[in-house]
Amino acid sequence: MIDRIGGALSALAPAPASFGRTQDVQPAAGNFSSTLASVVGSAVDTLRQGEAAGIAGIQGQMSPQRVVEQVLAAERTLQAAIAVRDKLVGAYLEINRMQI
Amino acid sequence: MLDPLSAAMKIAGSGLEAQSMRLRVVSENLANMESAGRTAGSDPYRRKTVAFTTELDRLTDTPLVKVDKTIADPSPFRLEFSPGHPAADAKGYVKLPNVNMIVEMADMRQANRSYEANLQVIKQARDMISMTIDMLRSQ
Repeated sequence: MIDRIGGALSALAPAPASFGRTQDVQPAAGNFSSTLASVVGSAVDTLRQGEAAGIAGIQGQMSPQRVVEQVLAAERTLQAAIAVRDKLVGAYLEINRMQI
Repeated sequence: MLDPLSAAMKIAGSGLEAQSMRLRVVSENLANMESAGRTAGSDPYRRKTVAFTTELDRLTDTPLVKVDKTIADPSPFRLEFSPGHPAADAKGYVKLPNVNMIVEMADMRQANRSYEANLQVIKQARDMISMTIDMLRSQ
């Protein structure tokens, strides 16, 4: 069923999700799921960078300004990812509740 | 292409770093206000200033600011009559650094204000981004 939904949404695939480091994201042709996967992949990358920046900051290898910049980017990406996830889960629940 | 709000945060971040470098140079000047030379007639510490320049970040196409170089201030040294000092010349005058505390204080204040302005940009951009993300959340 979920695959069906993915197929039904494939028309949306070329529209890039406009958050985070979108310049890295190459929207896969015609498949919403793979687009989502690549967006999530780059979001995870940003989160990892934020985490690494935090550790480097504690060790004194990175200036506080850089640490703040990277951690804010990670925070922002996480917020956007959570918002999108909530939307998707909401959509699936909505379909499950459909009258048969 | 980075979205404009993230670019604003990145640019303001580079401004923060440039201003902290400036504060560092001010602190060097203030700390060395009385640093005379070691040998007779030698030059003391010379006041430094910073020059900023624009640097284009090619990856994201954003003009960042950075400290180009520190420049030595060519103005004349202060002279003080102190014949017992090891750096005194034949007439008994010691050359002291050309650092003026009032000027350094003004410079420090300006660095502080600039830093605050850049921080404000970051705050504002962050607020705008999270307001936009909040649109996704609740209807």
